[in-house]
Amino acid sequence: MRKGKMKEEEIKKTIKTEDGWEPVGPTPMPSLTDLRNWDFRLLQTYEPFYAPFCDLCCLCTFGKCDLTEDRKGACGIDIATQQARWILICCLMGTAAHGAHGRHMIDYLIEKHGEDFKIDLGSQVNVEAPIIRTVLGLKPETLGDLKKAIAYVEDEMIHLVSATHMGQEGNYKDFESKAFHAGMLDHVALEAADIAQIVGFGYPTSVADTPLVDLGWSSVNQEKPTIVVVGHNALVANSIVDYLRQNGLNDQVELAGLCCTALDMTRYDKGAKVIGPLSRQRFFLKTGYADVIVTDEQCVVTDIPQMAKDAGAALVAVSDKICYGLPNCSEKDVDQVFKMVVDEEQQVLILDADKAAEIAVRAAMALAPKRRELKKILTKEEATKLAAKCRGTCEACNRACANLLPINNAVFKTAQGDFTDLGKLFLRCIGCAKCEEACVNGIPILKLMQTAADGDTYKIRTGRGPIHDVEIRKVGSPIVLGTIPGVVLFAGCSNFPQDIYDVAWLAEELARRKYIVCLSGCSAMAAAMSKDEEGRTIYEKFPPEFDAGCIVNVGSCVSNAHVVGAAIKIANIFATLPNRANFELISDYILNRVGACGVVWGPYSQKALAIGTGAVRWGIPVVLGPHGSKYRRLFMSKKELDDWTVINGRTAELVDTKEPTPEHMMVVTETKERALITIIKQCFRRNDTPPGRGIKLNSYISAYKQLIGTLPDDLQNFVRTEKDIPIVYKREVISYLKEIGWQPKPVLSLPTIIGTYDTKVPIEATIK
Amino acid sequence: MATEIMTHPYYKVNVLTGSKGARIITEPEEAARIIDKAKTPLYVFGAEVIDTPVGDKLLIDYALQIAQSRDIPICATAHVKRKMLELQVTPDSVYDIIEIVHFLKDKDWTGVRGQGQHDLVLFTGVRCDLAERGLATLKHFAPHLKTFAICRRSHPNADYAVPIIAKGGKWQEYLAALVKTLGTVTPAA
Repeated sequence: MRKGKMKEEEIKKTIKTEDGWEPVGPTPMPSLTDLRNWDFRLLQTYEPFYAPFCDLCCLCTFGKCDLTEDRKGACGIDIATQQARWILICCLMGTAAHGAHGRHMIDYLIEKHGEDFKIDLGSQVNVEAPIIRTVLGLKPETLGDLKKAIAYVEDEMIHLVSATHMGQEGNYKDFESKAFHAGMLDHVALEAADIAQIVGFGYPTSVADTPLVDLGWSSVNQEKPTIVVVGHNALVANSIVDYLRQNGLNDQVELAGLCCTALDMTRYDKGAKVIGPLSRQRFFLKTGYADVIVTDEQCVVTDIPQMAKDAGAALVAVSDKICYGLPNCSEKDVDQVFKMVVDEEQQVLILDADKAAEIAVRAAMALAPKRRELKKILTKEEATKLAAKCRGTCEACNRACANLLPINNAVFKTAQGDFTDLGKLFLRCIGCAKCEEACVNGIPILKLMQTAADGDTYKIRTGRGPIHDVEIRKVGSPIVLGTIPGVVLFAGCSNFPQDIYDVAWLAEELARRKYIVCLSGCSAMAAAMSKDEEGRTIYEKFPPEFDAGCIVNVGSCVSNAHVVGAAIKIANIFATLPNRANFELISDYILNRVGACGVVWGPYSQKALAIGTGAVRWGIPVVLGPHGSKYRRLFMSKKELDDWTVINGRTAELVDTKEPTPEHMMVVTETKERALITIIKQCFRRNDTPPGRGIKLNSYISAYKQLIGTLPDDLQNFVRTEKDIPIVYKREVISYLKEIGWQPKPVLSLPTIIGTYDTKVPIEATIK
Repeated sequence: MATEIMTHPYYKVNVLTGSKGARIITEPEEAARIIDKAKTPLYVFGAEVIDTPVGDKLLIDYALQIAQSRDIPICATAHVKRKMLELQVTPDSVYDIIEIVHFLKDKDWTGVRGQGQHDLVLFTGVRCDLAERGLATLKHFAPHLKTFAICRRSHPNADYAVPIIAKGGKWQEYLAALVKTLGTVTPAA
């Protein structure tokens, strides 16, 4: 249905059209189909690649329907369309998780500070919300404005969810367009949520050199009463900090966290500890170090109540998303709840942040003296004895392992008193504990791992939030010209295929080559878990600015918005393109001119899928680790065999550039080695100047030689003229190009795909 | 044609959730017959061929022998090319695993030697969960070719799969017998 006049008026009112900060572009608060042509244009070059995870459709009572090969479901759906429908459903889950998080955070902060509470991100950040400005056309000035952004996300989502019903959408490209929409909405929610918590809780902003804090499971001082918060919404964690401060208990109680709550909590209190990412949840909670476990929301393993019970720890659930069947004690008197938790050992649900905070602290202090014996991990002798039940032959653990690890050998060696392999396994373990479930002898493998695991403590820089406008002014030109070879964001989860060290390795390889490297969430934590010979993590080795050769921790999952925001700001601040309600113009600029790439090396969550899918709509390619294949959809070109025609913005003529850049928009790589060269390649842009392309090719060739041993096999695709060839490799490259019959390709300074499809955006708009 | 649903593969994450499972090729001779029969085969080497021991050799040694015995072109994925060059072998093509699967979907693709799309694609050494996703893609979207997972963990989404072979010695025997038999079995009519 087209937007009616009433809807248009409503949009004008919401985005305050009369505010003249920029003229309103063609797509204010876009609905499901407003950006469909843009999406279809992307899909024309980057065809969806489906890897069905299940051949059936089990979504309605017509079925199960077998969709193998060219069979159709009773409703008429085919296997490709069903994959695309799943993708939309999963993106919606991710968007809903971030959106509900944002809604909760904003409502709470409005309750606390009022709707008119001003958004002030400090002296370095004037373009406060590039995503909301570009998508909605709204310049948010208050918490109340952020609420409008979340309301827009909610409004759109009801239509998207509707499209997944039986007998609704029936074409895979339209499902993908809707998934793009969900992904874009996800980014709106991320930005609104992080801005709200930055201003509402006073997190760092307009500063790059944020504090370094302790990370690692051994950083927790279990001698003290210990509270461990788990999840992604730091609201209650921050209330715990407040309670500790107000009662002078900071030094007496240990506060630590798992996943993004931990990261966000350290933005509020640098004394809090980060235990690690999701992959460490079960591992740590089984140590018994936590006297009180507080669960909030998202990526919280579902069997925490049992683990808490087994560890003799108290459990306080604080989110309406995760109630665990527990009694709701939100209205009860604090002393009464305290008694339930401490004396009666009841697990409770408390939906009042301040009350939950008080209970958590008081319970931890009361329980800690009684739990000293429960905080001990196994001695080597005890672990060896338990492992002795393993014969090393049944391989039930290996077969159940979600990360395909050789567990049996490690456990068997442990039985012989050799913990080396089990210690190495810890670095690759994703913490699902399916091995324990499968073990026919009931060996507590994760507990054995605690004895074998490296107990080092690391430093991570706390999340810094938005990229500064002044930083964008400095790097905008070199990024667009290509002389800063790229901006790479490591986002998402800890479902790493190999060692947890690999994120740090990738980040360092890129920073050494002068890429701007950003990290967030579980990836930011994992990247801290590796030290050089001098004992420094990458956060201590590299500067924290948004500049060439720097390493930036933007913060938690919701902080991912700031890196997409930086790409938008390059178009808006550096190139002075208007971004208000101008999604296509800005995304076209990013796709063709901003060498940015997102990496999710350990993907598992629907949230990461939504983030990645949103990035693609903005024109930012995404590289996934092997587990990403289980998302079941990628976006890939056929490389040099495809049509790479774009428009030369200066002449408005079609030009066949013959160069596949960016080559893919979402691709899986199998190994870290392949990931590095793929990331480097995904930062090539058509707009690169010859010196800029030379710098990028220098990175590509050096990495390829280092890891694969030769010149890149597809080098000819990316050398446009001899001027692109880096001097150090000139002779070798020219010889190779002659050998394979390479022909020069056009170099464009203003490439655009605006005008290659039906759009309201005129080609002239791409030139400023 | 749909075949009997195979027994569970080694890894639980790869359990088939569909109605068309691989034909299990228990005997190396039968495997050789399938390969010999192919007119334009391709062999995809995954990253694990580099460092997976098979007896006193590496998996890549056997994979190379299989490829070379029938002049099967090789696609080196991940960073396999480096190891191949050390072994004095140049791969016919270098793509990452998902890229080669993407090309194989296209019935009009001219193959790694430009001689036409492949009719049989062998896979060895690709990480098992990733391999299974690529095989699922080809099962659904590449009816013009057959796939054969030469992997002792077994792959239900392939057209042909080796059964689970738990013991390393048996696996070595299977591979050795396959190498020995290739080219000696009369293709079935």
